[in-house]
Amino acid sequence: MEGRNESDSSNDDSSAGRARGEFGRPLDDTVNHVPATLSDRGRLYALLRANQAVTENLDLPMVLQRIVETAVELVDAQYGALGVIDPVHGGLEQFVYQGVSPAVAKKIGHLPEGHGLLGALIDDPRPIRLEHLCEDDRSVGFPPHHPPMDSFLGVPVRIHGEVFGNLYLTNQQSDGRFSLEDEQLVGALAATAGYAIKNAQLFAETQRRQRWSAATAEITATLVSVEEREPIAVIAERVLEVSGAAHVRIVVPTEDPARLSIKVARGIGADVEGTMVPAVGSVSGAVLEGMNPRLIEDEDFSRIHPLLPEGHTPGSVIAVPLVANGQARGVLLAVREISAPRFTPSELEMVADFAGQVTLAMELADARNAQQQIVLYEDRTRIARDLHDHVIQQLFASGLELQSVAGTLTKRSNIERISNVISTLDAAIVQIRTIIFSLSSTAPGSTPSLRHQIIDLVNEFDGGLAQTPTVTFAGPVDLVIAGGLADDVIAVVREALANIAKHANARSASIAIAVEDGAVKIDIEDDGVGISPDGRRSGLANLEERAARRGGRFILDAGMVGTRLRWHIPLTANKNSDEN
Amino acid sequence: MKTESLIRVVLVEDHELVRRGIAELISAESDMDVVAEAGTVAQARSRIAATNPDIVLLDVRLPDGSGIDVCRSIRQEAPQIRCLILTAYDDEDALYAAVLAGAAGYILKDIRGNRLIEAIRRVAAGHSLLDPTLKKMVTHRMREASSGEDPRLDALTGRERQVLNLIAEGLTNREIGQRINLAEKTVKNYVSNILSKLGLQRRTQAAVLGDRAHRSG
Repeated sequence: MEGRNESDSSNDDSSAGRARGEFGRPLDDTVNHVPATLSDRGRLYALLRANQAVTENLDLPMVLQRIVETAVELVDAQYGALGVIDPVHGGLEQFVYQGVSPAVAKKIGHLPEGHGLLGALIDDPRPIRLEHLCEDDRSVGFPPHHPPMDSFLGVPVRIHGEVFGNLYLTNQQSDGRFSLEDEQLVGALAATAGYAIKNAQLFAETQRRQRWSAATAEITATLVSVEEREPIAVIAERVLEVSGAAHVRIVVPTEDPARLSIKVARGIGADVEGTMVPAVGSVSGAVLEGMNPRLIEDEDFSRIHPLLPEGHTPGSVIAVPLVANGQARGVLLAVREISAPRFTPSELEMVADFAGQVTLAMELADARNAQQQIVLYEDRTRIARDLHDHVIQQLFASGLELQSVAGTLTKRSNIERISNVISTLDAAIVQIRTIIFSLSSTAPGSTPSLRHQIIDLVNEFDGGLAQTPTVTFAGPVDLVIAGGLADDVIAVVREALANIAKHANARSASIAIAVEDGAVKIDIEDDGVGISPDGRRSGLANLEERAARRGGRFILDAGMVGTRLRWHIPLTANKNSDEN
Repeated sequence: MKTESLIRVVLVEDHELVRRGIAELISAESDMDVVAEAGTVAQARSRIAATNPDIVLLDVRLPDGSGIDVCRSIRQEAPQIRCLILTAYDDEDALYAAVLAGAAGYILKDIRGNRLIEAIRRVAAGHSLLDPTLKKMVTHRMREASSGEDPRLDALTGRERQVLNLIAEGLTNREIGQRINLAEKTVKNYVSNILSKLGLQRRTQAAVLGDRAHRSG
């Protein structure tokens, strides 16, 4: 307050104007070298200190508070406030004040919204200076509990020519009225305040960008490295955290064009996850269709599908399409409540950038997986082809050769030995056929064939065997065993494997599935200790029942060593029932 | 000259050791003889025409084409000659191949020779080795495919589906051409495409058929 007491000048020349020459020097130097004795100089000193005070902070709410405090101090006002104008809707968006205690503010209730004198300054952004504000036509009076205010000074705060808000000062304490000089001082402060606010906004924006960029990097890393977590959930969580939204959801199309599904929801009302929303009359539907990011705040949210649970009112919504390969795969929605600051266009831009980067990362991850699948597939195809073209043919040719040799032999034991070798070769060929088949994979999205299902079942089986059970197929197994019959066959194999795992204490096992001689035959053998009669009758009874229902039979031969399970059913009785 | 008692066999197989082994096996039988051997589609066509055999044993995969194509042309040009598909593939593929080819049956490359010899005798006596029930199931599947009900065969074009449907009816390439107003050669190309696409969903064949389709196409 040093400057104020000594300066009572009614000099119409602007002190700020005459001070221009001083600005060539660094601010601190200037401040420290200004003698405080002359009244002009004193006011200048106060203004410089005020300027420094408002520019030394970078946090926007803090900057606004400091501007008000400093202005109040500069012209010895009792009350001061900064009203921030809502750039979209007019009126006041924020009201930062000084001098009114929180208790009084609470009694008054709502903050000023920009009517009366405050509104006049918004409509016509030129300084207003009044000795008695109640005498002005534009005054609309005060609400109950409002402290009495008399003298008034209002000055617009501009950023790059745009009015950001207004500084309001009331009740000049030393003179009871604001002078022209006060008006000029506050005007000069308002100019600096504009820059300080702009700086703080830029800083906040930079910080937001940094947070988004960190989130993007993190999501990208997650998408590339983690497979077990749904990446879409990670995305929703990060957006919730970084955007300061109350609720975030990702909505995806369903097979029904009229309905969309909330794939992930986070924040308040997260329990809508998994529910459906109509495509028409929802924000998501509109954005999916248009494929453009949207900032929505003017819409009557009560008329569309609710975005927040009861008791919460949406204020502004960012809706960004997740576009992959030119198609909208979903919509990301971030919702803030009415009480929170609205999303800004730059935030919309950041969320849209984020969504773009993330979908790109998802596409890349997908492409990389597909690439690996193709490499694997090509590899397997090559192995399968080699096995087919070379190994089977060689074994077959060698076997035929042996067969011819056997024809020339006379000694019975030799013929038998060769015959045994041929049997071994034949078994090897059958095994290789199964291997060739299992090397091929099922086309994505289609149901695996019965043979694939059986092979998968056996490969996943962990029954303490020394080796994976061997599987052989004979006859057109996939063609014939379909529908309900396939369910039966899988159930039989599963039950048999479970028995081997639990009871047999076996080292090896074999599974043969054949369609031959008009029958479907399952033969499963193991070299274990055989079957104990207790414990698992229900499973076996089930197999028996399944065989009987198809006019077949179920036989279990359990010797001292090894068990042989046979489940045979005639094809003729079942061929029609599987057409369904 | 062909005698009534001797079954005259042409053997079409590109793997030399395999061909020699089978030829020895057949020649060891008193009621049959190998009258010609071929390792390619081209050799097969000329030698079959030259010898007019009773039975042709055909490998599915040949270096310059498919045994299925050869079989289809034999059925058209000389329906009295009966074909047996000989393959190292599994039953599933072999059965489809045999039905597509219009063959009397298929034999998997298992060594137990009596099965092969028995098969030749039965086919020569006028029997089909294809179980009518199974054959019906295959043509049913093919019809499903041709009517677009089988999503695994989405790769087939409308024209290919049409051709597949007529194959399932048992028509020759020429008959198909007459039915849908296409040159026989065009039908043959469609058949080759269908074979390779059907092979695509039974993947082992895809690797082999895909290769060959490029060379023969």
